[in-house]
Formats: sequence, C-alpha cells, structure tokens
Amino acid sequence: MSGTAAASPAGISGLTLDGLRTVARQEFRLRIRAGHWRWLLGLWFGVVVGFAVLLRLGLAAVTPAEDDRPLGPPLFGGVMLFVLGLGLLIVPALTAQSVNGDRERGTLATLQVTRLSAAEIGLGKLAAAWGTALAFLALTLPVVLWALIEGGLPLGNVVVTLSVVGLLLGVVCALSQALSAVFARSITSALLSYLTVFALTVGTLIAFGLATALTSEAATVTYEQPAFDPQTGEVIPGGGTTTETYRTTRLRPDRTWPLLTPNPFVILADSAPRLDRHIDPRTGREVARPLDPLGELGDAVREARRPPRDNVSYGLDSGTTVRGGTGPLWPYGLIVDLLLAVGAASVTVRRLRTPIRKLARGVRIA
Amino acid sequence: MSYVRINGMDPGQGITAAGVRRSFGPVEAVRDIDLSAPPGQVTALVGPNGSGKTTLFLVLATLLVPDAGVVRVAGHDPLTEPDQVRANLGWSPDVFGVYDNLTVREYIEFFATAYRLPVGDRRSRADELLDLVHLDTFRESPVHVLSRGQKQRLGLARALVHRPRVLVLDEPASGLDPRSRVDLRELLRAQAADGVAVLVSSHVLADLEEVADRVVFIEGGRTVAEHSLSALPQTSTRPWRVHATDDTALVLSLDAMGMAHSAPTPTGVEVSLGSDEEVADLIVALVRAGVRVVSVAPSGGDLEAAYLELTKERR
Repeated sequence: MSGTAAASPAGISGLTLDGLRTVARQEFRLRIRAGHWRWLLGLWFGVVVGFAVLLRLGLAAVTPAEDDRPLGPPLFGGVMLFVLGLGLLIVPALTAQSVNGDRERGTLATLQVTRLSAAEIGLGKLAAAWGTALAFLALTLPVVLWALIEGGLPLGNVVVTLSVVGLLLGVVCALSQALSAVFARSITSALLSYLTVFALTVGTLIAFGLATALTSEAATVTYEQPAFDPQTGEVIPGGGTTTETYRTTRLRPDRTWPLLTPNPFVILADSAPRLDRHIDPRTGREVARPLDPLGELGDAVREARRPPRDNVSYGLDSGTTVRGGTGPLWPYGLIVDLLLAVGAASVTVRRLRTPIRKLARGVRIA
Repeated sequence: MSYVRINGMDPGQGITAAGVRRSFGPVEAVRDIDLSAPPGQVTALVGPNGSGKTTLFLVLATLLVPDAGVVRVAGHDPLTEPDQVRANLGWSPDVFGVYDNLTVREYIEFFATAYRLPVGDRRSRADELLDLVHLDTFRESPVHVLSRGQKQRLGLARALVHRPRVLVLDEPASGLDPRSRVDLRELLRAQAADGVAVLVSSHVLADLEEVADRVVFIEGGRTVAEHSLSALPQTSTRPWRVHATDDTALVLSLDAMGMAHSAPTPTGVEVSLGSDEEVADLIVALVRAGVRVVSVAPSGGDLEAAYLELTKERR
C-alpha cells in the first residue's frame, strides 16, 4: 500500500466503527424486511416454550418424591441443548448466502466500489448475521428465567452458558459466511455449511471413537481385592488382600479427548451447571440424576480425560471412584472454535478485497 | 488526435489507460487498450459485444487487476490507491441489482453513507439526485416497483451521490425511453460542463453522437481508433435513404441501374453512396427514369457510418 493510501482515514484494509455500523445496519434492515420474521421468531418462541413445558412435566413425573433437588439445572440444560441443536440448523440458512447471494443479485460490486473497505463489508455482514442468531437466543430468555426460578442455578454459571451458546452460534455464522465467500453458488455454500455443522457435531464424535479404537494399547493391570467371606459376600475385616495381574487391551480416551472438544454440544454440556452429585449414604453409590442429558454428557467427557490406572483396588476405597472430576475442558474447545471463526472471517475479508487479481471460476464481479 | 501520452500523462486528472491487458483463463478479454477521457468532456467508448468494454470498466472501477498496462483515474492508480479512486469515481455497471426492500430514497441514502457523506448532507443529496433523474415521485416507493429504465436512472443517481470527478457509465441508456434518453444526454452534458470527465459506452450510436465530444473505437480487446467527434474520418460510402411516391417504381429503377439497395420500408429504401456527386447523380437518374422522388437523406449519423466502416474492414 502506498503512503497516500495509508494516510486516508479509511485505507483499503481499514476498519472503522462507522463503516462497520453502516454495513451491519443495512444488512439487518434488509433481513428484517425480506423474510417473514415475525412468523419465524414467533414460531421459534412457541417451539422453545412448548419444549420447556413438556420437559418440566417430564422431569416432575420421573423424579422420585424423596429427591428434593431443584429442577433448575436439568430444565435449563435441556432447553439449552434443544436451542443449540435448533440454532445449528437455522444459522447456516441465515448466513450461507451472505456473500455469493449478493454477487448473484448484483449488489456486491456496487458496494465494493464505495469507500467501505472489504473488512467493513465482511465483518459488518457477519455482525448482522450473528445479531440475528442472538435475537433467536434472546427469545429463550423467558424460559431461562423460569429455570432460574426453579432454583439450583448459579446466575454466573447461567450467564457463562448463554454466552457460550451465543459464541458457538457466531462461530457457525462465520464458517457459513466464509463458505459463501469462497463458493460462487449459494446452493453449494449452503450444503457445505450444513456439512460443516455435521462435521463439528457428529464428525468429532466419529473421529474420537475411531481414534480411541485405533490407539488402544496392551497393558498390564494389577487388581487388588480384599478377602471375601464366600458365604456372606462380606469383606473379612483384617483378612488381607489378594492381587491378580492381567494383560489386557485397553482404550485410552485420555489421549484422544481433544478430538471431542470442538463439538458444540460437548462445549455446552461441559460449561453448563449441573446437579450436585448425590451419594446414597446407605450404598455409597451415586444416585442417578433423572433426565439430565447435558450433565451426563459433561461428566462423561471429563471422565474420558482421566488416565487409566495400572493398579485397581476394589472394595477398599468405596466412594472415591467418583465419576467426573478432571476439571473443565470447554475453554479449550471454545478457543479452538473461536480460532476457526477468526480464520473463516479473515478468509471472507480476503475474498471481498478488490481489485481482484485471480478470479475464481464461475464468480462474476459485476 | 490522441490524448494517450502516459509519460507526462495528465489530461487534467480524467482517465488515462495505456496498454491495458486482461485475460480470464484462455479468454483474452482485453488485449491492448489505450484511451483517455479528459475532464470537461464526454468520451464515448464504442465497440461490438464482447470487445472488452465491460472488462476495461471493471479495471477502471478498482474491481479488477489488469495483467498489464498503466491506468490513472483522477490522478490515482486503481491498483495501489483504490480508495482515492473510489472517492473520485462514479461507476454504474450495465446490469446491477438493487436492494428490493428499500425505498428509493433509502437506497440513495445508504450509498451516501457508504461514500461517507456527512450525516447532515445525506437526505438533501438524495432528494437532489432523485429530482435530477426524475424519480422524485418515487421517493417513498420500494425499489422493486421501478421499471428497468427507472432502475437505470436510479443507478445513475447512485453513481453521482458523492459528486465524483470522473464518471464511468456502462450502457446507461439501455432500457431508457426516448424522453429519458434526452434527459440522460442533458445530464451528461451538464456533468461535463462542471468539469467531470465522463466515459460512457453505448450501442445507441445516434445518442452518443448527440452527447459525446470524443469517441474511442475498440474491437477484439484493442483500441482501433480514437477521434474527436468533430474530426471523424471521412468514410468512403455511407447509407442514404431514398423515398419516392411509388416505392415499387423506385426499386425497379434502382435494379435497372444495377444499384444495390435494401428491402423497401414505408420510409423508402437504403442505398450506399460515396461522394455528394454520386448522390446528385442518383437523383438526376431517378427523376429521368420518371420516379417521383420525395426525399434523399443520409441515414444514420456520422458516428454510425464511421463505426460501420471500421467494423467492415475487420470482417
């Protein structure tokens, strides 16, 4: 860039708040006027509320009378799981035509010759798409409030989870938008956006499963158990222990768990507040939590990170083989996803930069 | 006469382009185009379909990097100083989309914002421009109700929104009704009178002849000729339209003289003639043959004649 270009207040790679706001406001206005938004948002709200009501009824029905734990966490978790799933379906549709749709309609070139920079156009459009996604999320706030009233939910934790869902929707916006900037036809970018969502959700799971199977290892494990009375099945106090050593093949999910971390559902589950563990004082076992798939998923993922032990003791340390407990992993996943989003946004901006040297096949400038 | 002098190039900050080349894969859209469009004048770019006009305009409009060549728009290089070029350039492509859900006024106001006009000026500038292109009665109508010609005028208003010093218009007359064409000519003349360098392409040569000061002919991606309109090259022959009270008798006489002519229309037949002497000879011969001649007039303008002559040579 020459010196004179840099001297301009809005150099070609420049990014001003004014320019960003101009593009975002325009995109938002076009979106609002284009679709049947009132219907769509109303439908969304109805579906989310309907789901929450049914979930609450279901929770009440399956919770044993003596379980006095508040229903806030499973209600909130269930609704967030539902909202994220539905959001991941809606967001690509909102964004997958962001750039190539404008090209097809012939409105992009006239925008590119204005004083708006490529960064302002790309990021302004992204802001509008993300804002739309956040509007959908905002409509679930009444349900969140209801879950808070049910109790058992730390407010800070709820704010974190909502932010995480908001960011994840933004990540999908950025990825879809980049696809729309790379591919000439909006049908292609829409399809690839859905495949991207599939890769993040199901693909990470498949990768984790395959990698875990492929990295299984031979191990020698020593089992130690106390002497039992064969009649009663009770441990004989002071009866000593017997040890046995086996060669076995075991899985090492503690090495492959990073493959799971970009999964939006894993991130959500791990970041969401969950019910306190309940240990039954009579059996020393954990009481199963009714209908809290999110909490179960979060625990399962944390459990996967725990390295296997070469020495296993039975009956000696009851109550200490508690599941979960290896610290949160969602920040890693969120960082990975946010890096993907930043990469995608920079691809979009680069594709919007003019003058163009190499024209991709099938792309019309104007 | 030629304005293309790239070293020491300064036709007062209009447009200069020299040796511009651009291909798309194996297709050479622009092979070697030289042109200049000085301020205060309307320069017409004339050439057949696919001759590289639109590609050249994309280069001028800071959208496309040429493979070779030197380009200056308003004294700036579109390649290295696109923002300065954009600040000074109004461009309207031959086809473009509009934001269907905006009103006509909102559309212009949006571009006023995008060109960073001060907040207070945007509305007044939009109103001013809509008056100028006679869309003032559509101010509050959604853009999608506009006809093709009206959209073309809206595009013109958009290109003018930031008072550019250079105006590049690709086929601005397409879709315009006769009244609007006259208005467009007046508008372009007014811009030139204000010192704007106007470069305009069109297929309607009669229109260009009325408005242009200069003409650049291009064909097959090359500049073929660059002329002042007052100094168009004399063509060897040009079409004349002959009308008689009885066109059947006229056609019979022409055939008898062995003179090639077009099929008769209600306004007569067209013949190709060179000098004024030839024209006079034909009139005398026809009258002698008893054909009651009503009129003999040149058909098409000088520009069209020059254009046809040029393209004929290259057939």
